Amino acid sequence: MNALLAVLWKDLLTELRSRDRAIAMLLFSMLMVVIFHFSLPGGATAATRAYAPGLLWVAYVFAALLGLGRSFAIELENGAIEVLARAPVDRGWVLLGKTLANMLILGVVQALTALVFALFFEMNLLPVALPLAGVVALGSLGLCAVGTFFAAVAVRTRLREVMLPLLALPFYIPVLVAATRATNTLLETGSVSFASIHFLLVTDGSYLIASFILSDFVLDE
Amino acid sequence: MTAVVARNLAKRFGRTVGLDGIDLEVAVGSTTAILGPNGAGKSTLLRLMAGLARPTGGSIEVGGEPAHQRTARARVGFIGHATGLYPELTARENLIFAARLRGVARWRERIEAQLEEAGLTRAADRRAGDFSRGMAQRLSIATGLIDEPEIVLLDEPFTGLDRVASDRLVARLQALRQSDRTLVLVSHDVALAARLADSAIVLRRGRVAHREDGGALDPQALENAYSAAAQRDSS
Repeated sequence: MNALLAVLWKDLLTELRSRDRAIAMLLFSMLMVVIFHFSLPGGATAATRAYAPGLLWVAYVFAALLGLGRSFAIELENGAIEVLARAPVDRGWVLLGKTLANMLILGVVQALTALVFALFFEMNLLPVALPLAGVVALGSLGLCAVGTFFAAVAVRTRLREVMLPLLALPFYIPVLVAATRATNTLLETGSVSFASIHFLLVTDGSYLIASFILSDFVLDE
Repeated sequence: MTAVVARNLAKRFGRTVGLDGIDLEVAVGSTTAILGPNGAGKSTLLRLMAGLARPTGGSIEVGGEPAHQRTARARVGFIGHATGLYPELTARENLIFAARLRGVARWRERIEAQLEEAGLTRAADRRAGDFSRGMAQRLSIATGLIDEPEIVLLDEPFTGLDRVASDRLVARLQALRQSDRTLVLVSHDVALAARLADSAIVLRRGRVAHREDGGALDPQALENAYSAAAQRDSS
């Protein structure tokens, strides 16, 4: 647990000082929102708003992939990944610390992206802000759990920028489907679909357990 | 008493042989030098000791346990030519991170002691990214020793250091020797290794080409063995 908190503290402090990862993710996701807005016929209409949850989650997924790729790349720069790998703890705690840090950084990006999205697509997200934040947090946990694991796998490969999306995207499909459905139901009815939330909880739990168990192998050379 | 035991140790990287049948015993409190030309397998051997990689054949134990297990990793401090530092964090923050990651008790006192030992007390709140190579290496050593490990592995720690920084590092290593720590030093500097170590092996293409044990080493014999390994490698 100490290792988890240490990694979480270090990753957040490093990001707070440099801000390069969060800014890159934010600009990227906002550009996607702008592109979606102008590529849909007629801009913000009732018909295009039907696609809104899916488009929002696509922006979140690609912003997450961008940030997750950097998450382990910074560990390689001065050989700091060896400091993590040598920690005398279950390496799952190290990976879990990085997962939570990635989730928090992604959370800031998601909140700001949602604001821009609401403006461009003329949607009032305020009445559902709290349950929406819950759905987004659950979806992000799944994205970051499996994404952080594959970022650790991909970082030692030659084509790491390509490897991460190739490895992670198939595992993102269940999260994306459930999160999009939950968001859609929430925006349409104002209430959360239990089936989607249940599915997200199961997926998140499975990804967290699997990445914890397998972490011992991914931090080895 | 042995700190590290390797038996018929092998490591392959695909078709490339990194280590091939290494037998080695490192006594507790001793200083062992691992010498050899580039690509001889020195760093691979050290990384297996540190639990950073797993053998593909044979075994390596630290304190009687497989080197990759966390209890074995707890005994080992590793200092490489890469500093392992986070440039955005200050020297003190880098030490806090290392101490908390390794579960150091009373870490505040340890950090202040390590800063003083490294001569970095006045630079403690400066970003590590602004440090010179010598200062960064001193901080790297301080982070590697934060939990007072029984075994200290040093992978070419003199790389990129000027003479003053090298002298400081030699003094630090001698102090560590006197504190009965087990040191394993990978180096290209045969004369320095002969001065610091009380046993040595020379590797060539993943095998032990020469071995010297038992107290005072013969620098000339080591130099000859190193040169022979390097020449046979380049021919």
